[in-house]
Amino acid sequence: MEVLRLPLSASQKGKLISAGYTSIASLSSVSPSHLALELKVSETEALEILKSVSDGSRLQSTSSSFTIVNGAQSAWDMLQEEETSVHITTSCADLDSILGGGISCKEVTEIGGVPGIGKTQLGIQLAVNVQIPYDYGGVGGKAIYIDTEGSFMVERALQIAEACSADMAEYSRLHHKGPQACEVKTMQPKDFLENIFYFRVCSYTEQIALTNYLDKFITEHKDVKVVIIDSITFHFRQDFDDMALRTRILSGMALNLMKLARKFGLAVVVLNQVTTKYADGQFHLALALGDSWSHSSTNRIILHWNGNERYAYIDKSPSLRSASAPYSVTPKGIRPSDSNNKRIKHV
Amino acid sequence: MVIKLKPQGPRCKKFEFWTKVAKVTKPQGPKWQFTLNKLYKAKWPANWSDSKLKTFWETKKNKQSPSSSSSPSTSTQMQPENLLLHHTHHHHLSLGCPILDAALGGGIPSNSITELVSESGCGKTQLSLQLLFTAQLPHGLSGSSLYLYSEFPFPYRRFAQLLHSFRSSHPILFANYRDPCDHIFTRDCHTAHHLLDVLLQLESRLKHPKETRLDIKLIVIDSIAALFRSEFENNGADLKKRSALFFKISSVLKMYAKRFGIAVVITNQVVDLVDDSEGVSGVQVGNLEGMWTSGRRVCPALGLSWANCVNSRLFLSRREVIEGVENGLQGDDYGGFVNRRQRRELHVVFAPHLPYSSCEYVIRKEGVFGVDR
Repeated sequence: MEVLRLPLSASQKGKLISAGYTSIASLSSVSPSHLALELKVSETEALEILKSVSDGSRLQSTSSSFTIVNGAQSAWDMLQEEETSVHITTSCADLDSILGGGISCKEVTEIGGVPGIGKTQLGIQLAVNVQIPYDYGGVGGKAIYIDTEGSFMVERALQIAEACSADMAEYSRLHHKGPQACEVKTMQPKDFLENIFYFRVCSYTEQIALTNYLDKFITEHKDVKVVIIDSITFHFRQDFDDMALRTRILSGMALNLMKLARKFGLAVVVLNQVTTKYADGQFHLALALGDSWSHSSTNRIILHWNGNERYAYIDKSPSLRSASAPYSVTPKGIRPSDSNNKRIKHV
Repeated sequence: MVIKLKPQGPRCKKFEFWTKVAKVTKPQGPKWQFTLNKLYKAKWPANWSDSKLKTFWETKKNKQSPSSSSSPSTSTQMQPENLLLHHTHHHHLSLGCPILDAALGGGIPSNSITELVSESGCGKTQLSLQLLFTAQLPHGLSGSSLYLYSEFPFPYRRFAQLLHSFRSSHPILFANYRDPCDHIFTRDCHTAHHLLDVLLQLESRLKHPKETRLDIKLIVIDSIAALFRSEFENNGADLKKRSALFFKISSVLKMYAKRFGIAVVITNQVVDLVDDSEGVSGVQVGNLEGMWTSGRRVCPALGLSWANCVNSRLFLSRREVIEGVENGLQGDDYGGFVNRRQRRELHVVFAPHLPYSSCEYVIRKEGVFGVDR
């Protein structure tokens, strides 16, 4: 379609053509300010032109991939993308099933719970599981582990990696009987450790700096598929007199993480602590960092004790129904709860 | 996002380098204001060329003494650590007893904070005094230790006893009149703020170790609860201040633990749990559904926010068990007497590297020892 057929004034059409914009396609990815500069018109006028271009193109073509704002998608595209999206398994079948297959890539997932419930264990497990190759139904990526609390223990990561490696060997023995078995290479526990990029962060300025730097780092290491922050909270619970500043810094960081998740198609897992909140005359438990932070993550999972069993509860998610499932922490890592009866509760 | 920084003061140590830069580039102005972008995206003054920046950076680097090279400079900070190397560097602090060491997967891990929780008389102080000696052992951390105490007075008599038994059990190590006490430093702390000040002053000491002495590899704080339980009132504002201070102290300790490979051990008291329905103090933290000692249900002092500040928590319990009843029935030796005994146990409440386990121990004149049953 040509510019001449657009419902524009003659002078505008003339300016467009003299600037070299003859087809609508050539206008599709131009920003209003750029156009205003090039045609020497006001920005509102440029916006008007682009609007009529988009109207015109919509009339002409039904193809949804033709949009005026760069990077915009139609819901249909997103649905198709959603169906092909990948998940990182948690190694616990019950947990995976309530999460729709595991921790989903492209999203920020927040996991909170009291000390000792297994947040760090889940973090290490995810850092290992993300490396399971495609042949074994995994993602085949690498992990970035940002440790603010110093709870990451290499010996524990090695234990979990050993168990994962043993599971993979078992799987290949079952599914690839015969000569094929040799073809699929099994990962050694040390390989798992090599593929975890571990950062230890000792202050909140370092934490902010690192989140800013991640973009560059991941551009260099494209195969990173999960970023785990253990925990986002620790450095933000000390010495902040200016709560408004804290909120601003935190929401800036959250935006940064969401951008990373979308841009590189990776999962961001943020671990959070639990604090007591005073409301309605009594204390009850709530995740730390306040109400404004609770908007920062797409999914929110709360880990809690139920009697002698650990449970995970989906507190917030745009796509999953709220449910809870038991899991257990074993020497091998996160595993399904050992009791046989199925106890996934849909609330 | 603007942080205001004072040019001096121990809390700004981190920004030492940056404040120097500011002095070079901006000679005027009473307060330095850095935007975070400026600090970390390293947007330098526009008139600085890359080569100038580079030479500036190089000279700065060369000026730093080799001992302070471990301090975080942005160039090393932004690189991930090699976990395989990490693994070989990680050390454990032996408790001086193979059974207890085995129960804790090799001992108290360095680079992290371990908390010892118990009621009084269970051996917290005993165990922490013992650690002061074992930290010097050459197959362990082989470093000196720092003992910060807030429960007075310092237990000299017990210390002397342990010293004696330690010397006699390692005669070769302490021949040539080498005294283990040369490598133990003590300091009293009266308030939580005092503790924080002491810790901040420690940095220069850790950075520039004296050659004649071993590096500090163990910090013991006995006990943290005593510092906080008197100073703060039970109202919203004070509790908030209190937990901010927890996180501050913990973050300083964790930074030292990481940078200098130090094991940190903190003891904590317990409080009685009167009523389950009373607020959130009954919420289960860690593997134990309830912590029982001497027939009472207790929970660690300082609440949930402190629990977030430590990496692992160990619980020492005691209870009375009745032994020898059967013997009494069978033979006449015991008559009608019931033989009562204190049974002490060490529990792993939570730890990132350990599952729940428990181990019985006894306190003897020579120290604290595990019992294999």
